[in-house]
Amino acid sequence: MSALKSLDPRVARLNIPSEIELITEKEEQDQLNTYQVFRQMNLKRPFEHVGIVHAANLELAFTFAKEQYSRRQTCSGIWVVETEKVKTTDFTEDQESIYSKIEEPENKKGQMEEFDFFHLDKRGKQHVHIGSMKAENHEMALWRAKQELELDKPVYNVWVVKSEDLLKVEEGFQDIWDTLPDKRYREAVDYKAGDKLKEFKERMNQAK
Amino acid sequence: MSDIELKDLLYKVADDQLILGHRNSEWTGIGPLLEEDIAFSSMAQDKVGHSLAFYNLLHQLGESEPDIVAFTRNAEQFHNSKFVELPIGEYDFSLIRHFLFDHAELIRFEMLSNSSHEGIAKIAKKLKGEVKYHVIHADSMIKQLGSSTTESIERMQKALNFAMPYALGLFEVSEYEEKLISNRIYAGEVAIKDRWIGDIQEIIMKTSLELPDTKILTPEYGGRKGEHTEHLQPLLEEMSAVFREDPTADW
Repeated sequence: MSALKSLDPRVARLNIPSEIELITEKEEQDQLNTYQVFRQMNLKRPFEHVGIVHAANLELAFTFAKEQYSRRQTCSGIWVVETEKVKTTDFTEDQESIYSKIEEPENKKGQMEEFDFFHLDKRGKQHVHIGSMKAENHEMALWRAKQELELDKPVYNVWVVKSEDLLKVEEGFQDIWDTLPDKRYREAVDYKAGDKLKEFKERMNQAK
Repeated sequence: MSDIELKDLLYKVADDQLILGHRNSEWTGIGPLLEEDIAFSSMAQDKVGHSLAFYNLLHQLGESEPDIVAFTRNAEQFHNSKFVELPIGEYDFSLIRHFLFDHAELIRFEMLSNSSHEGIAKIAKKLKGEVKYHVIHADSMIKQLGSSTTESIERMQKALNFAMPYALGLFEVSEYEEKLISNRIYAGEVAIKDRWIGDIQEIIMKTSLELPDTKILTPEYGGRKGEHTEHLQPLLEEMSAVFREDPTADW
């Protein structure tokens, strides 16, 4: 089979076959866990869900999340949690708040510990951290929140995470977040190529 | 103290960053998983950015423009260690190199941020946070792959054994060293190496890997004096190919 041709010498010398066999089945070992990532854009803003990374463990998930989600936006902190550790409610629509559907759980047992809450206030937007409270378990946390929270707007979906399950990287790491303002070269706007491109196109048209 | 000593230090720091940054960028698009591809590429870009900061400082000391310095010198005019010019190899080697290099780099940046030379201290302070992240990344990868499957551990160990003499070459002492130390520019290569061994040992101990005995290894010196492996010149030609098409082009 012939090798893939590329103008990039780094790719050309890899001898990648020009036709690649499609992998239809993957070994189970090949699948990494997913982790949910929350980012704080600056110290005055709440943490907000930004997306997902695949990783082999929580520490690597943070490592990936940092470059993935703070590379081009300002950032003052990142939290990550394994996806299966996030307990979610159902969804509601319009004026109906999901809290109206939360019923008193049968299981009231458990050690009191801290839970973090993320609310979805608008369909299509991301979940935003609203705070934390102590409860016996995830279900009780939701039930207690229903009693205590005074909401003026409906909440459509809630994520509840045991605080202990979240890896929170904020204070003490200020220097790793402070590096972005000098990286304008990473953004397209820093390359003022518009005029040159226009000129190039005109030259090409004239040559035709 | 004259500028000769300062320039010697700045060139080796900047050349290491430029060459390793270019090398590591070769993984862009073919990294082992998307997230790692992005992180590794981003760090490679940081390294090139660091070299620019130091080349700018050299320019202030009377050297040519950064682009000229970066793209028009031949291999024997480069002061980087042989370690950073070695081909990327398999990912095991690239990760081990990243781990060994960035631990040394972080110590170097910490020392330089306390330098008596204001310009150097300012750059080092500003960029230290990025190197700190590079070390966090390296440590998490080494801890994972150094304690994972048998194949993984064996490959990482083999890469570590191969890399170690080259890594020791990072600390090649220059003839200007004493002056730089007595003028409190930085604490010198031997001081970096001593701290480095402790730092990497601390991480290696958390894995199934073993650190080769650095006392019985012969370091791969020469790079700081312009003696390089056969791998540097082709890298330079590739890196400067676009620049040489039209050296006067305005980017």
